[in-house]
Amino acid sequence: MKAYLELIKIDLKLALRLRTVIFFNYLFPLIFFFTFGTVFRAGQSASAVTQVMTMSVALGVLGNGLFGAGIRSIQERELNILRRYKVTPITPGPLLVASMVTGWMIFLPYIVVLLSLSHFFYHMPWPQHTASLLVFISLGLVAFRSIGLVIASVANNMQEGTILVQLLYFPMLFLSGATIPTSAFGPILQIISGFIPATYLVKGIKGIMLQSQGLLALGSAVAAMILTAVLGWFVGMKLFRWEKEEKIRASAKLWVLAVLLPFLVMGVWQGLHRKQEPAVDLKSQAIQKTSAPSGSALAP
Amino acid sequence: MSTQPIIAVHDLRKSYDKLEAVKGIDFQVQEGEVFGLLGPNGAGKTSTVEILEGLRSRSAGGATVLGFDPDRQKQQLKDRIGVCLQATNLPAKIRVQEALELFASFYTRSVSPEQLLKRLQLLEKRNAFYETLSGGQKQRLALALALVNDPQLLFLDEPTTGLDPQIRLEIHGLITEMKAERRTVVLTTHYIEEAERLCDRVAIMDEGKIVAMGTPRELQQKSKSQSRIQIICNQPLNGDLPQWPDAVECMLGDDKREMTVHSNRPARTLFEIMKWLDQQGLQLEDVHLKRPTLEDVFVELTGKKLRD
Repeated sequence: MKAYLELIKIDLKLALRLRTVIFFNYLFPLIFFFTFGTVFRAGQSASAVTQVMTMSVALGVLGNGLFGAGIRSIQERELNILRRYKVTPITPGPLLVASMVTGWMIFLPYIVVLLSLSHFFYHMPWPQHTASLLVFISLGLVAFRSIGLVIASVANNMQEGTILVQLLYFPMLFLSGATIPTSAFGPILQIISGFIPATYLVKGIKGIMLQSQGLLALGSAVAAMILTAVLGWFVGMKLFRWEKEEKIRASAKLWVLAVLLPFLVMGVWQGLHRKQEPAVDLKSQAIQKTSAPSGSALAP
Repeated sequence: MSTQPIIAVHDLRKSYDKLEAVKGIDFQVQEGEVFGLLGPNGAGKTSTVEILEGLRSRSAGGATVLGFDPDRQKQQLKDRIGVCLQATNLPAKIRVQEALELFASFYTRSVSPEQLLKRLQLLEKRNAFYETLSGGQKQRLALALALVNDPQLLFLDEPTTGLDPQIRLEIHGLITEMKAERRTVVLTTHYIEEAERLCDRVAIMDEGKIVAMGTPRELQQKSKSQSRIQIICNQPLNGDLPQWPDAVECMLGDDKREMTVHSNRPARTLFEIMKWLDQQGLQLEDVHLKRPTLEDVFVELTGKKLRD
């Protein structure tokens, strides 16, 4: 336990000492928040500000998970920092737990800031299920940080890691509804969207924010996050490498498929039971100013 | 006092695919001993040491370290040993004291960071970020981290490589202190003078095998190379030089004042030379006796230089 606490304490200190961490965890997503807010006229409707809020959270979770956990882990291996830990009695467990907890502790204030800005700046009512929202976002964060750790495990060097992260990050950003609502997609893109892990993150947040759903009502989204977190954690531990010289066997990379399995299953299921989402005109939505009072549930 | 060896290695082998890096080596290290592993890159010394540290699995043979099997009891073993790696790093923004506190938390027993900072002359740097430390300070911190669990056995992998002579001497001083504390040290090095100065026993490795093992003096004595006696007189020597007992070769310098004699029994030859100089009425200005070094022994045994 002493090692866990000490690692979390140091990880937190190190993160807060790096300007890049502050920039990419707080300032960078906030730039997007205000940009989205302006484009979608967030101040004019609850659904518009909720869409903006969801986009900003998803952007933050993806960045924190894939870049924060994934790239940082590769960096530590490349710089021979993990090699120094390897000669001590510590196992990968405390290192991964510390990374997870630190990522979560750094991310949570950002959510509070986003909620406050949305409320005070764009007049978004407070969500009815704030606890559910925070728990779901935390689950999403753990799931995407687990994916980040898996990327770190299978990438043999920084170059490979960056390519892998980009390959996941951009499709997730554009095809999950995080930036463009899925209702604006054509039928094929909507099917593809069902295979994207971030889609379930976005759906979950929207479900809580727009439809006042609790965690239990978000069954598939919650299950996808939990399953991804568990599988990602398992694979991350199994393939953990301390040294850059330890190259991963090509066959071991198949473990990555295990992490993506829940999304393959859910994508197929969604594809088979799909109903075309009605097309949404965000611009006209934004013009209709909401009359929902502060503190009430958000209008869907 | 226990006579059980701290390290016992029997027919140890390590293969990487088709490459056999360690080809069946045997040795033991006793308590309080500084044991050196000498050899060029690719000799198999790093593989050997990493197997003993529990970092790599052996392909065949047996090894026990502090009574533990490094393959099966990795965590228990790592808890009891200290390791100073050659190529390692810490996060740029970690402070010196934080690093010590962090690593201390990994072990079941630890020394107070203040004590280590004082001992390794890092007290003034306790709040400095790792990235701001000089090469010597980083190496001192690496040694402090290796000592954080008060280990009975230390593995030092090329601890002075790339450091300037002053820092190297400081590190030598620290290793001597560890020896005085009856800690057992396994030292891998490229530097002959380091091995000669610090090690009680040395194993010379080449192509995965131990080609010679013993105290530095024993190894030097086994050498077929001769000692070199160098003499400088106050005035030029005239005429031919006599054939002194056990002298293999005699050479006179251009100024005829300097003489170099190779001998199999330098003490006897030197005594005869002194007698002859006295008979000739010559005054001695300077005399040097150079025994074969471990480098000479190494070249003789392997046909290679240590830094090949």
